[in-house]
Amino acid sequence: MKAFSYVNPSSEKEAVAALKTDGIAMVIGGGQDLLARMKDYIDSPDRLVNVKGLDATMTSTPDGGMKIGSAVKIIDLFEHAQVAKLYPSVNAAAIEVGTPQIRNQGTVGGNVNQRPRCWYFRNEEFVCFKKGGSRCFAVNGENQYHAIFGNEGPSHIVHPSSLAVPFMAYGAKFRVLGPNGEREIAAADYFTMPTLQNVLKENVLDDEDILTHVILPAPGIVKSGHYEVRYKASHDWPLAFSTVVLTMSGNTISSARVVLGAVAPIPWRSKAAEAFLAGKPLNEATAAAAGEAAVSEAKPMSGNAYKVQIAKTAVKRAIMNAAGLNTV
Amino acid sequence: MANKYSWPEKPALLGTSVKRLDGPDKVTGRAKYTYDINRPGMLYGKMVRSPLPHARVVSIDLSAAEKAPGVKAVLAHVAVGAQVMYQGDPVAAVAADTEERALDAARMIRVRYEALPHFANVEQAMATDAPAVFPGGNTRQGATEETGDLVAGFAKAAHIVEATYATHVITHVCLETHGCVCEWDGDKLTAWISTQAVIQSAQQFAQALGIPQANVHTIMQYMGGGFGSKFGPDSQGIICAKLAKLAKAPVKLMLDRKEEHLDTGNRPSATAHIRAGITADGMLTAFDGQSWGTGGAGATSGFPLPYIYNFPTRKRTHKDVYINAGQQRAMRAPGHPQGCFLTEILMDELADTIKMDPVAFRVKNLPPAAPNAMWAEYFARGAKAFGWDKRHATGDPTPGPIKTGMGVSAHRWGGAGQGSQAHVDIMSDGGIVVKCGTQDIGTGTRTIVGMVAAETFGLPLSAIKVEIGDSLLPFSGGSGGSTTAASAMPAIRVTSVDALEALFAKVAPALGTAPENLVAEGGRIFIKGTPAKGLSWKDACKLIGTEPISVNGKWAQGLSGSGTSGVQFAEASVDIETGIVRVTRILAIQDCGLIVDKLTAESQAYGGVIAAINFALFEDRILDRVTGQMVNPNMEMYLLAGMSDVPKIDIMLNNMPERGVIGIGEPPTVSTASAIANAVRNATGATIRSLPLHPHKVLAALEQEKAGGTN
Repeated sequence: MKAFSYVNPSSEKEAVAALKTDGIAMVIGGGQDLLARMKDYIDSPDRLVNVKGLDATMTSTPDGGMKIGSAVKIIDLFEHAQVAKLYPSVNAAAIEVGTPQIRNQGTVGGNVNQRPRCWYFRNEEFVCFKKGGSRCFAVNGENQYHAIFGNEGPSHIVHPSSLAVPFMAYGAKFRVLGPNGEREIAAADYFTMPTLQNVLKENVLDDEDILTHVILPAPGIVKSGHYEVRYKASHDWPLAFSTVVLTMSGNTISSARVVLGAVAPIPWRSKAAEAFLAGKPLNEATAAAAGEAAVSEAKPMSGNAYKVQIAKTAVKRAIMNAAGLNTV
Repeated sequence: MANKYSWPEKPALLGTSVKRLDGPDKVTGRAKYTYDINRPGMLYGKMVRSPLPHARVVSIDLSAAEKAPGVKAVLAHVAVGAQVMYQGDPVAAVAADTEERALDAARMIRVRYEALPHFANVEQAMATDAPAVFPGGNTRQGATEETGDLVAGFAKAAHIVEATYATHVITHVCLETHGCVCEWDGDKLTAWISTQAVIQSAQQFAQALGIPQANVHTIMQYMGGGFGSKFGPDSQGIICAKLAKLAKAPVKLMLDRKEEHLDTGNRPSATAHIRAGITADGMLTAFDGQSWGTGGAGATSGFPLPYIYNFPTRKRTHKDVYINAGQQRAMRAPGHPQGCFLTEILMDELADTIKMDPVAFRVKNLPPAAPNAMWAEYFARGAKAFGWDKRHATGDPTPGPIKTGMGVSAHRWGGAGQGSQAHVDIMSDGGIVVKCGTQDIGTGTRTIVGMVAAETFGLPLSAIKVEIGDSLLPFSGGSGGSTTAASAMPAIRVTSVDALEALFAKVAPALGTAPENLVAEGGRIFIKGTPAKGLSWKDACKLIGTEPISVNGKWAQGLSGSGTSGVQFAEASVDIETGIVRVTRILAIQDCGLIVDKLTAESQAYGGVIAAINFALFEDRILDRVTGQMVNPNMEMYLLAGMSDVPKIDIMLNNMPERGVIGIGEPPTVSTASAIANAVRNATGATIRSLPLHPHKVLAALEQEKAGGTN
């Protein structure tokens, strides 16, 4: 691992200032992702800026929503009663993250901003687009865990965040602080599809920006459901998962947000499923048909067509969870 | 024929559940593993390995590394112009004063390669237009094995199943990685090494370094798993010794997880295209199989086929296919999990052609019954215990996406003993030291060595001091082939009996009797049949005098056996909407001759079953098909069962004291994957003919079944 300097700022402004350097500076929260990347020589920063000391509170907002500090530990997010009450799918996603050790150490900001788990990205032999190279090895290689949506390239990763999916489904905004002040960005605008220009990143954060808060609006009269499919029951990355947030009018769905994870380079909102659900009764038949709609535009790669079936099931079962039905 | 060494008919300790002697040391961290050994002035070694699967080394520049901070030794392991044959092939090494500096310096060694054509998989190597990558050919065709008139055999068949079956490559994933600490004193080497063969490691160090074996002292007190991959110093051990010599300081060189996956062995793949026939009343008639497999770069891939069942006419050919990947090593019952899987899935498919129960079908086609072929009895016992009568025919008729099924499989293994020596001292204060150059690779050998001595002396286990895991101790073999217990236990028994006889000779006059009238039981030595006429062990030992009883002995016939059999049942559930398989229950029935410690024997079976669940569902060494480089050389994307993935496991050991001690380390891992795959087939009605049972294969098989069947 390359030797680095360590900055321990006492405020978010100091943290932003500390990111300004001639070399490479990176933010470190729980370090569950970054330290592994450094040990594997995927990243070799000159300076680490510790943000564990920044806001780690979860507070109610005047409009009935919640504001969650980036430094909140994932386990604390899971155990927070108000989060569980207002945003049960955030709660459900939080407990699916990693292992007890990772949840005890990892932060909300770190989960949202972690880098892809793509095995080409994670092994230094493969100099892919995301490491400044000129190819995505997944295209002709081992792509069983890669994207089935958003496969226009150049990169075919799946976004790794478990929390970003329910955050997007609940209409979260991300508060970002940079050298020119703060801004709030809708979750839908925060994550970026890869282009040749921005492929080194997965979101809109500039080098001197930090994500300080996730702001969740009041949920309204909704039913939500979350379902994750993974190969192992113990610690494993999901093959596909989904959060649905259904705005209800009696037993009729008036509008829906359907977001899928582990299927695309960004948390993937299924407009097709959302359009299908509007006006439908909430029941198993609707759930199954919405699952079909959600994958109608999937474009799998050579080795991951099976993920289409799994994504379809995740959406179906997330809706069944929202309806309070048994999923299996 | 019973003699004075025979195992006791009414043992006090043998066959009971005794906790490991070293359990408290292990869980408190007092036990020092190789990684825990630190010597004064010790340096850290790090190897440089080829990132390419096949290349010629054009140049090696050590100069930057030599000048790097803290570096004390740098060496090239291969000559310029040499070829590297797989990713991870060792090229150079460095030793520095900290682990981090060694790692940094290793990255400063500049090696230039000229890439050469490579094979990332057997399909590439077997292609008709494949380039010549391996000297002497990319494949090696083995001899044809043939019995009986195959044409006549198939003529008798009412049904024929023809399909291709396959298992994949997995690595050993020892939790403690390979490596050692080497320290020189002049031309004498001491090596603390994570090994399954402490004495043989000394021999290999001596040969590779050109020094007398008498100058090498190897030590292995505790080890975190080997599974067949740790029988010597390997390249890392020899490099460690060379670095220590160059640097004139002790060096610790332990591999990292990536190196483990790339260069410390693996279980070869196995594929077979099989045609097999069956009569209308369920008798096997013929087996015709062409198999191939890869053990990596220039290594073999053999396995038994067909497995266990009696095909009266059969023919089998096998071809080793070489690819540019790390070489295979023995891995827990080498060959058997592969041969077992290929045969057992076929067996269920054959049974289904005549709608016969898989257990009844197997029993009908077993080889003749014998003490080492107890399958018929185990099938019956297991079926009853497991609730086999509740098994539905192929395809769970229950509505809903979760389908449940049961499967079964059988296996065999050797586990014979071989030459082993021991030494026993009995001191005048009653103390006992038992010495044997065997090693405890995590199986409980230290405990059972103590148990056999304690049983012989009529004392509790705590009375015995056990010394093993050191090349200066009396000779014993490497721990492979499940031979350790059957090798060392007879030696301990013989030596302990002889030592006890020597003690009886000292004690008899004081008790006014002849030595042959004495027995040792319950902490006392007394006249047989008259427990009151005797002495406590301690008082008896006071008669020894100044010169302790000191006896050498060795392995003898009659105390160990060979040949074990086992049957396993599995229950699994399959989510047909996701392809996810969960194993819910395993029943493992196993014999191992005389059970020494029931607890550690059961523990071997648990470990074997869990390892095989990994083989069935999770583990998979994945090489990028284009670059030939491994994409999952870690424990994140190379999947291993966690606690939630481990089902209820029941172990039924069949104690057969009359057969003597037989090893059990390997057999329990053979059947599990086949039984699980058969349970998945029974659950879904779809046949998956290759491992692992990844959801992509499960879903594909279900699709194919829906479209008209997987047959």
